Amino acid sequence: MRTHASSDHRVEGEEAMNRRDMKKVVTRIKTIKKAAQELKDHTEVPAVERNAARILASVKMLEINISDLLMVK
Amino acid sequence: MKNSKDTRETYWNLLLETLPFEKLRELQVKKFRRILEWAYEKSKFHRKLYQEAGIEPGDVNTYEDITKVPKVEKAMMRDIQRKDPFPYGDALCVPLEEVTEFRQTSGTTGKPVYQPDTWQDWEWWSESWAYLLYAQGYRKTDRVFIPFGYNIFVAFWAGHYAAEKIGCEVVPGGVLDTEARILKIQELQATAMMATPTYVLGMADTARKKLGIDPARDLMVRKITCAGEPGASIPATKRRMEEAWGAKVYDHVGATEIGAWGFECTAQPGGLHVNEALFLTQLEDIETGEMIEEPGRKGKIVITALDRIAQPCIRFDSKDVAEWAEDPCPCGRTFRIIKGGVVGRSDDITKVKGVLVAPSAIEEVVRSVRGLSDEFEIVVSKKGDLDDMTLKVEILPADEGNREVILTQLKDQLRLKTNLGYNIEVHPYNSLPRYEVKARRFKDLRKHR
Repeated sequence: MRTHASSDHRVEGEEAMNRRDMKKVVTRIKTIKKAAQELKDHTEVPAVERNAARILASVKMLEINISDLLMVK
Repeated sequence: MKNSKDTRETYWNLLLETLPFEKLRELQVKKFRRILEWAYEKSKFHRKLYQEAGIEPGDVNTYEDITKVPKVEKAMMRDIQRKDPFPYGDALCVPLEEVTEFRQTSGTTGKPVYQPDTWQDWEWWSESWAYLLYAQGYRKTDRVFIPFGYNIFVAFWAGHYAAEKIGCEVVPGGVLDTEARILKIQELQATAMMATPTYVLGMADTARKKLGIDPARDLMVRKITCAGEPGASIPATKRRMEEAWGAKVYDHVGATEIGAWGFECTAQPGGLHVNEALFLTQLEDIETGEMIEEPGRKGKIVITALDRIAQPCIRFDSKDVAEWAEDPCPCGRTFRIIKGGVVGRSDDITKVKGVLVAPSAIEEVVRSVRGLSDEFEIVVSKKGDLDDMTLKVEILPADEGNREVILTQLKDQLRLKTNLGYNIEVHPYNSLPRYEVKARRFKDLRKHR
């Protein structure tokens, strides 16, 4: 299989966020997720519960885009 | 988070879109295992399917293991739906109250299949479209007009939300008729649009004939995203659309059951990138079932949406046919390219007089002949024991004087490109069916005997 990586862009990707930076971003994502989950689970106000549910859906998009990269060595 | 100006301008997510292929593959295997575990645990349909095949999620650890996981076909989904949990049946993986979106397939190949999505899945839909729109140059400065009915088909719903996500201004063009849409595009100076190829050409035709508007000269649309039918990857059709609008036309491929899995980028490399971060796209030899990894061999697309949770799409047999491109794209994405886009459907590509024919090949010839209108129809029938193929075309009024030259060119090109002879019928201009959204130009009457 021929590589489809342009080496310039791959190096830029690595420079844009190295693994240590990525872990910091992932920690922030986890913090947001935890807070949103707590809001959702411990409220009787529908406005809070449903908006927190939407935040969690957006957090999943952050996980897909960033956090899942930590699955790769 | 560092991100250079150049890469920010090129990629929605530089990290995934330029990830080396071997790392993309590693990510795909791990995400495949995750969605397989989800479906196995939550869905009676999936668990039964895998148990009958003797597969458990723990058996899938490598890319090769994935090919042992049984495929899902559309007919299987039809069989389990319209039952409890109503109306989705046993493939539903979430409580019914978490489903926030209902869509269904178009029903062109049989009874429509229902598609439930949670709000997370709906965000995922707009995320998959954000990858493609960003790759096609959509930015915060764009005013995007969407001439779409906003109906029960998923179509451009996610395109609307993805354009918003990117920061574009979105003008919903539902309810308005074609003429009103064109006038609104002109009034608001829309810079981008999304539509099926049939409608893109239809709008241009209406603009010229009924409003005296030349879209290329009088409108400011400079990029068009197509979906819903193959046209934008058929060079002659793409050329007609680009000339009619003075715009770049980009293709995209997706499906209700799958998601927005493939897209053309601004480099227009002669094919579509598959989104390797959100989907696992495999090509399977139509006859042997063997996985095709190398360029140059056509295969059937079997696809997995790696993050879709309400009704997972795992090893779905799309029936679409494609081949891998040989060269990487100058855009720098490591997402592989399917050459020429989806070249047909395995259930459309048919044998006529012993020769395999793809409707897209005929479209490419017809649309490349100057002097023919955009509309045509192909009818395959039986005359006694022999196959008969009739091609119905229209000659543009201004080109009637060149009729013989046009028809000779058409016949020669058809013979050269499809290896077949056709009965050619010339119909009066404007007499063949005009389709509003998706065209049905290929009619095989032999199937209905």
